Amino acid sequence: MEKSNWVWRVVFLAAPVAVFSLLVLWPLCSSFFYSFTNWNGFNPNYKFVGFDNYAKIITDRLFLNAIINTFIWMVSAILLPTLLGFGFALLIDSNVPGGKIFKSIFYLPICLSAVVVGQIWTWIYQPDWGLLNTLINFFLNESMNFAWLAKPDTSLGSVIVAWSWQQTGLSMVIYLAGLTSIPEELLEVCEIEGTSTWQKIRMVLVPLLTPATVVVIALSVINSLKGFDILYIMTGGGPFHSSDTLAMHMYNESFKKYLMGYGSAISVVLFLLALVIIRIYFRELKRIDEIYG
Amino acid sequence: MASLILRNVSKSFGNTKVINSVNLAIEHGEFVVFVGPSGCGKSTLLRLITGLESVSEGQIIIADKEVTHLKPSRREVAMVFQSYALFPHLTVAENIGFGLKLSKVPKDEIETRVQEVAKVLRIDDLLARKPRQLSGGQRQRVAIGRSIIRDPKVFLFDEPLSNLDAALRVVMRIQINRLHQRIGATMIYVTHDQTEAMTLADRIVVLNEGKVEQVGTPLDLYEKPANKFVAGFIGSPAMNFINGVVRSVEGKPAVSMGPLKIGVKNSTLQAGTCLEVGIRPEHIEILSPSQSHLTAKVDIIEKLGAESLFHLQTEVSDSLLTVRADPIISAGVGDIVGLNFPEHHLHFFDRNGKIV
Repeated sequence: MEKSNWVWRVVFLAAPVAVFSLLVLWPLCSSFFYSFTNWNGFNPNYKFVGFDNYAKIITDRLFLNAIINTFIWMVSAILLPTLLGFGFALLIDSNVPGGKIFKSIFYLPICLSAVVVGQIWTWIYQPDWGLLNTLINFFLNESMNFAWLAKPDTSLGSVIVAWSWQQTGLSMVIYLAGLTSIPEELLEVCEIEGTSTWQKIRMVLVPLLTPATVVVIALSVINSLKGFDILYIMTGGGPFHSSDTLAMHMYNESFKKYLMGYGSAISVVLFLLALVIIRIYFRELKRIDEIYG
Repeated sequence: MASLILRNVSKSFGNTKVINSVNLAIEHGEFVVFVGPSGCGKSTLLRLITGLESVSEGQIIIADKEVTHLKPSRREVAMVFQSYALFPHLTVAENIGFGLKLSKVPKDEIETRVQEVAKVLRIDDLLARKPRQLSGGQRQRVAIGRSIIRDPKVFLFDEPLSNLDAALRVVMRIQINRLHQRIGATMIYVTHDQTEAMTLADRIVVLNEGKVEQVGTPLDLYEKPANKFVAGFIGSPAMNFINGVVRSVEGKPAVSMGPLKIGVKNSTLQAGTCLEVGIRPEHIEILSPSQSHLTAKVDIIEKLGAESLFHLQTEVSDSLLTVRADPIISAGVGDIVGLNFPEHHLHFFDRNGKIV
C-alpha cells in the first residue's frame, strides 16, 4: 500500500515538475549560465567572460538610467493603483448611487491585455487627434498638440497613467473584498464612539485593510516588475531611453543589440531584485498574519 | 429619575414588524435584562437604544433627553458586543482608550484612566498585548473596559458571554455583577440564557415576537408569571403544562386533570372552564404509589449529582412530566411512583395563555 502510494505521488508530481523545469528552471539556469558568456544569441562559438558582463553593468550609464526609471515606474505603478483602488472601493462600499455599474466599469480594463491598453492610450495621447489634447483644447480653448509619448519629460509618466488606469480595477476589487470582510461590529463601535470619516479611514479601515493592502501591493510589485508589454507598445523605452526600465533595457540589449550574455546578466540582477522584494513581502505577510490571523 | 424611557417604540423591516409598541422605563443604576427566545427582538431593541438601527415609531429618552433621532455617538451609551469587537491591530491599552483618543483627550490622561479601568477589570498586566494573544474572557473584559472608560449614561450588553465556555461564563457573570455594584451605572443586558438573566437582573424584561410579555424582578417572573409564555420560558427545566377542567366539588372549585382532582382556593375559576395547569418540576413531589391519587411510570432519569431529573409518563398528560427531585430517591427506569401537586404551587392559564 505504502509503495503504491509512493508511485502515484511520483506519477502525479511528474507532470507539473516537468512543466516547471522546462518553463521556469531551465530558462532561469540558462540565464545564469549565459550571463557569464559573450553569446550573441545565435553563434554557438561563444566564450566565457567571467564577471565581465556584471562589471559592465556597474559602468553602464543606460543601466543606471534603467534602474532609476524602474524605481520611478515601480513606486508610481504601485502607489497610484493602490491609492485609487482604495478610494474607489470606499466610495462604492458607501452605497453611492450607481456603485454597481461603476464597479464593473472600473474593473473592465483589467480584462484587456496590456497591448490593447497600450494601443488605446497611444491613441488617447496622439498629438493631433488624441482624446487628451482634444479635451484640453475643448476646455482651455487652445490649439495644443503636445506629443506626450514623444517627450522625454512626459513619456514615462504617460505610460504610468495608462498602467494605473488598467490596474486600479484590480486593487479596487481586492479592497472591496477586504471591506466586506471587516466585521460589522467594528464599524458599529466606530459609530458608537463617534469617529469622524477621516478618523475611521485612518485609525480603523486602513489598518484593518492591511491584509488586502499586502495582496494589492504584492500583485502591483509583481505586475510592475513584469511590466514590459505596455512600455514596449507605447514608447519602446524611448525617447532617448526616458522610459527604459530594467525589463525594457534587458530586451533592447538582448534582442536588438544581440548582446545575449549581457542581457542575461541584467535579467539575473532583475531576478535577484525580485527575490529581495519577495523576501520582504513574505516577512510582512507573516507579521500581518500574527496580528489579523 | 428614569435613566431610559422607551415610549411606544416600534421597528419594522419592510412589512415585518419586529418590535411592536414597546413601553419601558428603566431607573438610574438599574440592571435590566432583556430575555427571550431567538428572533424575539431583544437584540434589535438594544440596537434601537444604541442608535445602530433607526426607530420606525415611538420615542427613546436617555437621561431626560430625547435621543430618538440622534447619532449613536451623541446618545452617551456604550455597547459591549457578543464578538468583543476589539480592533486586532491595537493593543489592549489602545483598545480601551480608543474613544478617549478620538475625543483628543491628552495622552497622559488616557494612560491614567486606562490603568484605572484595567485595574478594576484585573487586566492591568495585559495592556501591551494584542487581542489575538488574549483568552475569550480577557477579550470580553477589554471590551467592557472600552465601554466603562467613557463613563456613559447607559451600558448595553449584547449577549456578551455567549462565546465563552460554561465555566468562564460563571466567572464573568460574577465579575459583571461586581462591576455593576461598583460603578452603579444603568445597565441593559441581552441574553437568551435565563440563568444569566435571573442571577444578574434587578428586573427582567421578557420579550416574545417583538412584544414585552412581562417586566418584573426575577422572583416575580418565577413565582407570578403573567402568562404561559413567561411561565414556560423562565425556570429550568421548564414548567410542566397539563390540560385541566374546573369542576365544582361539594360547592367548591376543583381542577380535574384526568383521574386527579385538586381543590383550589382561586375563586375566579368558573365550573366548566377549560384551562392549562402549570407546575414547576421542583414543586412536584414524588411519593410511594400508595400515598397518591396519581401514579406515573419513570421513563428517563437524568442524574445531575445535587439533584435528579425524572421524566415521567402519566395519565394526565401526553407529554412527559419533568420532576426535579432529591438524588436519594431510589426509583429506577420503569418503576411506578406516586405524584403530588401542592395546590399553592399551581398556576392556571386560560385558552389565550393568560394567567387566571
